[in-house]
Amino acid sequence: MSVILYHWEPNANSGKPMLTLAEKGVAYESRYLDLLKFDQHQPAYLAVNPDGTIPAMVHGSRVLTESTPMMEYVDDEFPGPPLKPRDPKARWRMRWWMRFFDAYFAPSLSMIGWSIFVGPAVRSRPPEELRAAIDKIPLESRRIAWRKAMFNEFSAEELAESKRRVLFATLALERHLARFPWIAGDVYSLGDINGFNLGYALPLSQPDHCNDAKTPHIMEWLRRIYERPAARETWAKGRTAMAARIKMLERSPGAPHA
Amino acid sequence: MLLMLELYTSEPNTFFLKPLIALSEKRAAFTTHYFDATGLEQFAGNFPTDLESSLHLEREGPLLAHDGTIICNSFFMLEYISDALPGPSLMPADPYDAYRARAWGQFLGAHLGSAVPVLGAAKYLRPHLAALDSAWVDGRIAAIEPIERRVGWLRLRDGTYTEGYLQAVTARLAAPVSRVEKALQQGAWLAGPAFSVADIDAYPMLCVLPDLAPDTVNADATPCISEYLGRIAARESVRAALRCARTPHPERQFVPGLEASRWG
Repeated sequence: MSVILYHWEPNANSGKPMLTLAEKGVAYESRYLDLLKFDQHQPAYLAVNPDGTIPAMVHGSRVLTESTPMMEYVDDEFPGPPLKPRDPKARWRMRWWMRFFDAYFAPSLSMIGWSIFVGPAVRSRPPEELRAAIDKIPLESRRIAWRKAMFNEFSAEELAESKRRVLFATLALERHLARFPWIAGDVYSLGDINGFNLGYALPLSQPDHCNDAKTPHIMEWLRRIYERPAARETWAKGRTAMAARIKMLERSPGAPHA
Repeated sequence: MLLMLELYTSEPNTFFLKPLIALSEKRAAFTTHYFDATGLEQFAGNFPTDLESSLHLEREGPLLAHDGTIICNSFFMLEYISDALPGPSLMPADPYDAYRARAWGQFLGAHLGSAVPVLGAAKYLRPHLAALDSAWVDGRIAAIEPIERRVGWLRLRDGTYTEGYLQAVTARLAAPVSRVEKALQQGAWLAGPAFSVADIDAYPMLCVLPDLAPDTVNADATPCISEYLGRIAARESVRAALRCARTPHPERQFVPGLEASRWG
């Protein structure tokens, strides 16, 4: 059975199954959708995922559309190195942090990203074209997100609250990684794959909060993941400057390895 | 291997009902630390805590202490109980069914977990708090950390829950309820051929809706859900879980739950 993955850049939700498949050594057919051209709201893709969210994975007759459970499926279904710890407590910890990333950290970080990147990237197009694009979005919550990004309707209060949460979550993650080398504990897992997709560009987007002085454990964790062949391979599939941000995790020549 | 298994729980309803059902399905022996969540006893300071439980995204949910680790988040607690304790597995065996169980947990957690407790708290917790000494309640609430947990309680007191607000929350139930009804037209259980964590997770949030949102969940509008609720209610594990109640009406005990998506 072939695996087809519909995805955008190796970043956030799209990058989660991409890096997981690469770590497992599973070959897949890549279908790149350009989020900024609204490919994900075209009829051809809605036939695969009626919600119009990215990513989606098709494995034989099976369709998967939720990115975090999708990572668990890839680990459960395919041979290759296990990406979940064997210890049930560590496995619970992995899942707890993935939910913290997905439900708390990512929505606030992405609100900032959408206000400064996604919105401006599409805002120059005629308003009628943008409104027509919004009308094609299946989920109400996504229509709201796109409307706010396109017409710059994020309120000062919600952006301030997002910034507060990003800082709070960054400090929580730093505390966690001071306790354990990896998200689940002693071994690299899906939790690191999830967190890396969320956080690989934090040192660039949040330079005052995420840096070698203030969050040394996060910085070292990001660099360790970036050094993995699967991460190099996955980010090489990026087509935009967004994915290229990963290069800032390159250790400077002569810098000590931890 | 005999490890200490301790459940910190309030009345068996919503998030608190889930692990009680799962532990009963496993026939696990455990110690109960009971607290009155509607009386804010979870903030009394005598609870085990660590980084994860201090952030507690479900706010006033159950805690399971197992040999030094504090497990929180009720869906992952169910997976943990399935994984870590002897007895029948509660996770579907097939990887795709397991995917569906986890996808349901994520979807219903976000959509029902943020709506059902609001309706229940508006109907039952708000009048309960109004009958208590208001300086005591407000003082207790003002001390809640982190702020995300405090906000859920403040909303009960600051006039947020208007008729219109609660109607909008009820309207948000339509999409997840119809998704569940559709799925149950295809099979008896949410994730594969057998009763699983997906059903243990969904049941406590759905079973209170005939009371809280009678126009959305009823025998005519959602026949499959009604039948499903009846089937699960008849399970011995559910009956055993409800026998842990200390009030005559555990189904009326609510506390603020997850926050709704900040994207609207």
